[in-house]
Amino acid sequence: MTAQTNINKQAPRRPAIISTRTMRITAALFTLLTVFHILNTLSLADKLAATASDAVYVFGILLQPLCAAIAVWVASKLGWRESVGRQWLLIAAGMTAFAIGDVVWAVLELGMGLDPYPSIADFFYPMEYFLFLTAMILAIRSYSGLVKTRKPVLLGGAVAVVGVAVVYLALLKPFIFPAGADELSVLGKLVSTFYPLGDIVFMLAPAVALALVIRQLGAARFAWPWWIIVVGALVFALTDSYYAYADWSGSGLTAAMDLGWIATHMLFAIAALVARDVYRSVGRT
Amino acid sequence: MTGLRESVISALTPYVGEIVADTCVRATALSLGKTADDLDINDLAALEVNARRLLGPVAPREAIDGLIAEIERSLT
Repeated sequence: MTAQTNINKQAPRRPAIISTRTMRITAALFTLLTVFHILNTLSLADKLAATASDAVYVFGILLQPLCAAIAVWVASKLGWRESVGRQWLLIAAGMTAFAIGDVVWAVLELGMGLDPYPSIADFFYPMEYFLFLTAMILAIRSYSGLVKTRKPVLLGGAVAVVGVAVVYLALLKPFIFPAGADELSVLGKLVSTFYPLGDIVFMLAPAVALALVIRQLGAARFAWPWWIIVVGALVFALTDSYYAYADWSGSGLTAAMDLGWIATHMLFAIAALVARDVYRSVGRT
Repeated sequence: MTGLRESVISALTPYVGEIVADTCVRATALSLGKTADDLDINDLAALEVNARRLLGPVAPREAIDGLIAEIERSLT
Protein backbone atom coordinates (compact mmCIF):
# COMPACT_ATOMS: atom_id res chain seq x y z
CA MET A 1 0.00 0.00 0.00
CA THR A 2 1.44 3.36 -0.95
CA ALA A 3 1.56 6.44 1.19
CA GLN A 4 -0.86 8.11 -1.22
CA THR A 5 -3.44 5.38 -0.63
CA ASN A 6 -3.09 5.86 3.12
CA ILE A 7 -3.78 9.57 2.76
CA ASN A 8 -6.84 8.89 0.61
CA LYS A 9 -8.19 6.47 3.21
CA GLN A 10 -8.10 9.08 5.99
CA ALA A 11 -11.48 10.30 7.21
CA PRO A 12 -12.54 13.68 5.81
CA ARG A 13 -11.55 16.53 8.09
CA ARG A 14 -14.45 17.82 10.19
CA PRO A 15 -15.18 21.50 9.85
CA ALA A 16 -14.27 23.41 13.02
CA ILE A 17 -17.19 24.44 15.24
CA ILE A 18 -15.53 27.71 16.22
CA SER A 19 -14.80 29.66 13.06
CA THR A 20 -11.43 31.07 12.07
CA ARG A 21 -12.99 34.54 12.17
CA THR A 22 -14.00 34.09 15.82
CA MET A 23 -10.50 32.81 16.65
CA ARG A 24 -8.90 35.80 14.95
CA ILE A 25 -11.18 38.35 16.57
CA THR A 26 -10.61 36.72 19.98
CA ALA A 27 -6.83 36.80 19.49
CA ALA A 28 -6.99 40.44 18.36
CA LEU A 29 -9.14 41.47 21.34
CA PHE A 30 -6.84 39.82 23.87
CA THR A 31 -3.79 41.31 22.19
CA LEU A 32 -5.38 44.76 22.53
CA LEU A 33 -6.21 44.02 26.17
CA THR A 34 -2.61 42.97 26.88
CA VAL A 35 -1.21 46.06 25.16
CA PHE A 36 -3.60 48.24 27.15
CA HIS A 37 -2.58 46.59 30.42
CA ILE A 38 1.14 47.09 29.76
CA LEU A 39 0.65 50.74 28.79
CA ASN A 40 -1.78 51.37 31.64
CA THR A 41 0.68 49.90 34.14
CA LEU A 42 3.35 52.29 32.87
CA SER A 43 0.88 55.16 32.96
CA LEU A 44 -0.19 54.51 36.56
CA ALA A 45 3.48 54.24 37.57
CA ASP A 46 4.05 57.74 36.10
CA LYS A 47 6.45 56.35 33.52
CA LEU A 48 4.63 57.96 30.60
CA ALA A 49 4.29 61.60 29.61
CA ALA A 50 0.92 63.22 30.33
CA THR A 51 -0.13 63.14 26.68
CA ALA A 52 0.82 59.48 26.36
CA SER A 53 -1.11 58.67 29.55
CA ASP A 54 -4.18 60.41 28.13
CA ALA A 55 -3.80 58.42 24.93
CA VAL A 56 -3.67 55.17 26.94
CA TYR A 57 -6.81 56.25 28.79
CA VAL A 58 -8.64 56.93 25.52
CA PHE A 59 -7.34 53.62 24.10
CA GLY A 60 -8.85 51.72 27.04
CA ILE A 61 -12.15 53.58 26.72
CA LEU A 62 -12.39 52.84 22.99
CA LEU A 63 -12.13 49.10 23.59
CA GLN A 64 -15.62 49.20 25.12
CA PRO A 65 -17.45 50.51 22.02
CA LEU A 66 -15.40 48.05 19.95
CA CYS A 67 -16.69 45.10 22.01
CA ALA A 68 -20.23 46.50 21.98
CA ALA A 69 -20.11 46.90 18.19
CA ILE A 70 -19.09 43.25 17.75
CA ALA A 71 -21.93 42.06 20.00
CA VAL A 72 -24.50 44.33 18.32
CA TRP A 73 -23.36 43.11 14.88
CA VAL A 74 -23.77 39.42 15.82
CA ALA A 75 -26.99 39.87 17.82
CA SER A 76 -28.66 41.94 15.10
CA LYS A 77 -28.07 39.08 12.66
CA LEU A 78 -29.94 36.74 15.01
CA GLY A 79 -32.70 39.34 15.16
CA TRP A 80 -35.36 40.41 17.66
CA ARG A 81 -37.91 37.97 16.24
CA GLU A 82 -35.92 34.97 17.46
CA SER A 83 -36.21 34.30 21.19
CA VAL A 84 -32.48 33.66 21.41
CA GLY A 85 -31.86 36.77 19.30
CA ARG A 86 -33.66 38.90 21.89
CA GLN A 87 -31.42 37.48 24.63
CA TRP A 88 -28.28 38.45 22.71
CA LEU A 89 -29.65 41.83 21.65
CA LEU A 90 -30.33 42.70 25.29
CA ILE A 91 -26.78 41.75 26.25
CA ALA A 92 -25.44 43.81 23.33
CA ALA A 93 -27.66 46.77 24.30
CA GLY A 94 -26.29 46.57 27.85
CA MET A 95 -22.74 46.60 26.54
CA THR A 96 -23.59 49.61 24.38
CA ALA A 97 -25.03 51.47 27.38
CA PHE A 98 -21.87 50.77 29.38
CA ALA A 99 -19.69 51.90 26.45
CA ILE A 100 -21.67 55.15 26.18
CA GLY A 101 -21.21 55.64 29.92
CA ASP A 102 -17.45 55.15 29.55
CA VAL A 103 -17.21 57.60 26.65
CA VAL A 104 -19.27 60.21 28.54
CA TRP A 105 -17.04 59.66 31.60
CA ALA A 106 -13.90 60.21 29.50
CA VAL A 107 -15.30 63.34 27.84
CA LEU A 108 -16.21 64.83 31.22
CA GLU A 109 -12.93 63.91 32.89
CA LEU A 110 -10.42 64.27 30.10
CA GLY A 111 -12.12 66.66 27.71
CA MET A 112 -13.84 69.01 30.13
CA GLY A 113 -11.71 68.57 33.25
CA LEU A 114 -14.78 67.83 35.41
CA ASP A 115 -15.21 65.28 38.19
CA PRO A 116 -17.33 62.62 36.47
CA TYR A 117 -18.56 60.95 39.66
CA PRO A 118 -21.49 61.15 39.91
CA SER A 119 -22.55 62.40 36.50
CA ILE A 120 -24.72 61.67 33.48
CA ALA A 121 -22.44 58.64 32.89
CA ASP A 122 -24.18 57.07 35.89
CA PHE A 123 -27.39 57.10 33.91
CA PHE A 124 -25.83 54.81 31.28
CA TYR A 125 -23.77 52.39 33.41
CA PRO A 126 -26.72 51.00 35.42
CA MET A 127 -28.66 50.38 32.22
CA GLU A 128 -26.39 47.41 31.64
CA TYR A 129 -27.53 45.89 34.93
CA PHE A 130 -31.20 45.96 33.92
CA LEU A 131 -30.60 44.82 30.34
CA PHE A 132 -28.27 42.03 31.45
CA LEU A 133 -30.71 40.82 34.12
CA THR A 134 -33.55 40.78 31.58
CA ALA A 135 -31.39 38.79 29.15
CA MET A 136 -30.52 36.30 31.90
CA ILE A 137 -34.17 35.90 32.88
CA LEU A 138 -35.08 35.21 29.24
CA ALA A 139 -32.16 32.79 28.84
CA ILE A 140 -33.06 30.85 31.99
CA ARG A 141 -36.76 30.82 31.08
CA SER A 142 -35.93 29.48 27.62
CA TYR A 143 -34.64 26.31 29.29
CA SER A 144 -37.55 26.05 31.74
CA GLY A 145 -39.35 23.31 29.79
CA LEU A 146 -36.15 21.37 29.24
CA VAL A 147 -34.13 21.25 32.46
CA LYS A 148 -34.64 22.15 36.12
CA THR A 149 -34.64 25.93 36.58
CA ARG A 150 -36.41 26.44 39.91
CA LYS A 151 -33.52 25.27 42.10
CA PRO A 152 -30.89 27.28 40.16
CA VAL A 153 -33.01 30.42 40.48
CA LEU A 154 -33.45 29.85 44.22
CA LEU A 155 -29.71 29.29 44.64
CA GLY A 156 -29.04 32.44 42.60
CA GLY A 157 -31.38 34.28 44.97
CA ALA A 158 -29.50 32.87 47.96
CA VAL A 159 -26.22 34.10 46.46
CA ALA A 160 -27.80 37.54 46.09
CA VAL A 161 -28.87 37.62 49.77
CA VAL A 162 -25.43 36.50 51.01
CA GLY A 163 -23.65 38.83 48.58
CA VAL A 164 -25.74 41.84 49.65
CA ALA A 165 -24.95 41.03 53.29
CA VAL A 166 -21.22 40.89 52.50
CA VAL A 167 -21.37 44.19 50.60
CA TYR A 168 -23.26 45.78 53.47
CA LEU A 169 -20.80 44.59 56.12
CA ALA A 170 -17.59 45.16 54.13
CA LEU A 171 -18.41 48.34 52.24
CA LEU A 172 -21.68 50.12 52.94
CA LYS A 173 -21.69 50.07 56.75
CA PRO A 174 -18.03 50.95 57.41
CA PHE A 175 -17.38 53.37 54.52
CA ILE A 176 -20.25 54.61 52.37
CA PHE A 177 -23.09 55.19 54.83
CA PRO A 178 -20.94 57.13 57.35
CA ALA A 179 -19.41 59.35 54.59
CA GLY A 180 -20.08 63.02 55.27
CA ALA A 181 -21.56 65.56 52.86
CA ASP A 182 -18.08 66.98 52.21
CA GLU A 183 -16.94 63.56 51.01
CA LEU A 184 -20.02 62.40 49.08
CA SER A 185 -23.17 64.19 47.88
CA VAL A 186 -26.60 62.61 48.32
CA LEU A 187 -26.54 61.52 44.67
CA GLY A 188 -22.99 60.23 45.09
CA LYS A 189 -24.05 58.20 48.12
CA LEU A 190 -26.99 56.78 46.21
CA VAL A 191 -24.82 55.80 43.25
CA SER A 192 -22.04 54.43 45.48
CA THR A 193 -24.59 52.25 47.26
CA PHE A 194 -26.31 51.13 44.09
CA TYR A 195 -23.24 49.92 42.16
CA PRO A 196 -21.89 47.29 44.57
CA LEU A 197 -25.43 46.06 45.26
CA GLY A 198 -26.13 45.99 41.51
CA ASP A 199 -23.00 43.92 40.94
CA ILE A 200 -24.41 41.25 43.23
CA VAL A 201 -28.11 41.39 42.38
CA PHE A 202 -27.99 42.11 38.66
CA MET A 203 -24.76 40.39 37.59
CA LEU A 204 -23.47 37.80 40.08
CA ALA A 205 -26.77 36.21 41.14
CA PRO A 206 -28.23 35.76 37.62
CA ALA A 207 -24.85 34.48 36.40
CA VAL A 208 -24.83 31.84 39.14
CA ALA A 209 -28.43 30.85 38.32
CA LEU A 210 -27.62 30.60 34.60
CA ALA A 211 -24.49 28.55 35.33
CA LEU A 212 -26.58 26.07 37.35
CA VAL A 213 -29.09 25.82 34.51
CA ILE A 214 -26.62 25.26 31.68
CA ARG A 215 -24.57 22.90 33.83
CA GLN A 216 -27.37 20.41 33.15
CA LEU A 217 -26.53 20.53 29.44
CA GLY A 218 -23.12 18.98 30.08
CA ALA A 219 -20.64 19.73 27.31
CA ALA A 220 -23.39 20.59 24.82
CA ARG A 221 -22.47 23.22 22.25
CA PHE A 222 -25.46 25.49 22.85
CA ALA A 223 -24.18 25.97 26.40
CA TRP A 224 -20.73 27.19 25.34
CA PRO A 225 -21.60 30.88 24.77
CA TRP A 226 -23.53 31.01 28.04
CA TRP A 227 -20.52 29.70 29.97
CA ILE A 228 -18.49 32.60 28.54
CA ILE A 229 -21.25 35.00 29.59
CA VAL A 230 -21.18 33.51 33.11
CA VAL A 231 -17.40 34.01 33.37
CA GLY A 232 -17.73 37.57 32.05
CA ALA A 233 -20.45 38.43 34.56
CA LEU A 234 -18.38 37.00 37.42
CA VAL A 235 -15.36 39.05 36.31
CA PHE A 236 -17.56 42.17 36.17
CA ALA A 237 -19.12 41.61 39.60
CA LEU A 238 -15.76 40.90 41.25
CA THR A 239 -13.98 43.80 39.53
CA ASP A 240 -16.66 46.37 40.24
CA SER A 241 -17.21 45.31 43.86
CA TYR A 242 -13.52 45.04 44.64
CA TYR A 243 -12.84 48.39 42.95
CA ALA A 244 -15.41 50.06 45.21
CA TYR A 245 -13.91 48.35 48.27
CA ALA A 246 -10.31 49.20 47.31
CA ASP A 247 -11.25 52.81 46.60
CA TRP A 248 -13.09 53.33 49.90
CA SER A 249 -10.82 51.27 52.14
CA GLY A 250 -7.71 52.88 50.68
CA SER A 251 -6.14 49.52 49.92
CA GLY A 252 -5.02 50.88 46.58
CA LEU A 253 -6.18 50.80 42.97
CA THR A 254 -4.10 48.88 40.44
CA ALA A 255 -3.84 48.65 36.67
CA ALA A 256 -5.22 45.10 36.88
CA MET A 257 -8.55 46.47 38.10
CA ASP A 258 -8.98 48.49 34.93
CA LEU A 259 -8.75 45.23 33.00
CA GLY A 260 -11.88 43.78 34.60
CA TRP A 261 -14.52 45.89 32.86
CA ILE A 262 -12.82 45.58 29.47
CA ALA A 263 -12.23 41.83 29.90
CA THR A 264 -15.91 41.38 30.79
CA HIS A 265 -17.13 43.02 27.61
CA MET A 266 -14.52 41.24 25.51
CA LEU A 267 -15.83 37.96 26.91
CA PHE A 268 -19.41 39.02 26.13
CA ALA A 269 -18.42 39.91 22.55
CA ILE A 270 -16.61 36.58 22.16
CA ALA A 271 -19.64 34.77 23.61
CA ALA A 272 -21.84 36.33 20.92
CA LEU A 273 -19.40 35.18 18.22
CA VAL A 274 -19.28 31.67 19.72
CA ALA A 275 -23.09 31.60 19.84
CA ARG A 276 -23.25 32.43 16.15
CA ASP A 277 -20.70 29.68 15.40
CA VAL A 278 -22.44 26.96 17.40
CA TYR A 279 -25.82 27.74 15.84
CA ARG A 280 -24.24 27.61 12.40
CA SER A 281 -22.44 24.36 13.23
CA VAL A 282 -25.70 22.38 13.27
CA GLY A 283 -25.62 19.76 10.57
CA ARG A 284 -22.00 20.50 9.59
CA THR A 285 -20.31 17.97 11.88
CA MET B 1 -31.61 -0.14 12.52
CA THR B 2 -31.56 1.98 15.68
CA GLY B 3 -34.86 3.17 17.15
CA LEU B 4 -36.19 6.71 16.93
CA ARG B 5 -35.29 7.40 20.54
CA GLU B 6 -31.62 6.47 20.10
CA SER B 7 -31.36 8.37 16.81
CA VAL B 8 -32.86 11.52 18.24
CA ILE B 9 -30.74 11.43 21.38
CA SER B 10 -27.56 10.79 19.44
CA ALA B 11 -28.39 13.60 16.97
CA LEU B 12 -29.37 16.20 19.58
CA THR B 13 -26.96 15.44 22.43
CA PRO B 14 -23.88 17.21 20.98
CA TYR B 15 -25.90 20.42 20.71
CA VAL B 16 -28.26 20.47 23.68
CA GLY B 17 -27.04 17.68 25.95
CA GLU B 18 -28.57 14.32 26.80
CA ILE B 19 -31.13 15.62 29.31
CA VAL B 20 -32.67 18.06 26.83
CA ALA B 21 -32.55 15.50 24.00
CA ASP B 22 -34.31 12.97 26.21
CA THR B 23 -36.90 15.58 27.21
CA CYS B 24 -37.76 16.12 23.53
CA VAL B 25 -38.25 12.38 23.05
CA ARG B 26 -40.30 11.93 26.22
CA ALA B 27 -42.50 14.96 25.42
CA THR B 28 -43.24 13.44 22.02
CA ALA B 29 -44.04 10.06 23.49
CA LEU B 30 -46.31 11.67 26.08
CA SER B 31 -48.17 13.66 23.43
CA LEU B 32 -48.81 10.43 21.52
CA GLY B 33 -49.71 8.32 24.54
CA LYS B 34 -46.71 6.06 23.97
CA THR B 35 -43.52 5.24 25.83
CA ALA B 36 -40.25 6.68 24.54
CA ASP B 37 -39.10 3.21 23.47
CA ASP B 38 -42.27 2.66 21.43
CA LEU B 39 -41.66 5.65 19.18
CA ASP B 40 -40.97 4.78 15.54
CA ILE B 41 -40.32 6.53 12.25
CA ASN B 42 -44.05 7.23 11.81
CA ASP B 43 -43.85 9.52 14.85
CA LEU B 44 -41.30 11.77 13.22
CA ALA B 45 -43.84 14.53 12.48
CA ALA B 46 -44.91 14.67 16.13
CA LEU B 47 -41.28 14.68 17.18
CA GLU B 48 -40.58 17.62 14.87
CA VAL B 49 -43.47 19.60 16.35
CA ASN B 50 -42.26 18.94 19.90
CA ALA B 51 -38.61 19.62 19.09
CA ARG B 52 -39.53 22.97 17.50
CA ARG B 53 -41.69 23.92 20.47
CA LEU B 54 -39.12 22.96 23.09
CA LEU B 55 -35.95 24.10 21.33
CA GLY B 56 -37.46 27.23 19.73
CA PRO B 57 -36.52 29.46 22.69
CA VAL B 58 -32.91 28.21 22.89
CA ALA B 59 -31.78 28.32 19.26
CA PRO B 60 -32.56 30.20 16.05
CA ARG B 61 -35.03 28.69 13.58
CA GLU B 62 -32.30 27.81 11.09
CA ALA B 63 -30.40 25.84 13.72
CA ILE B 64 -33.55 23.93 14.65
CA ASP B 65 -34.18 23.19 10.96
CA GLY B 66 -30.65 21.77 10.89
CA LEU B 67 -31.30 19.64 13.98
CA ILE B 68 -34.50 18.22 12.47
CA ALA B 69 -32.64 17.47 9.23
CA GLU B 70 -29.91 15.77 11.26
CA ILE B 71 -32.49 13.57 13.01
CA GLU B 72 -34.03 12.66 9.64
CA ARG B 73 -30.59 11.84 8.22
CA SER B 74 -29.80 9.62 11.19
CA LEU B 75 -32.93 7.56 10.46
CA THR B 76 -32.21 6.90 6.79
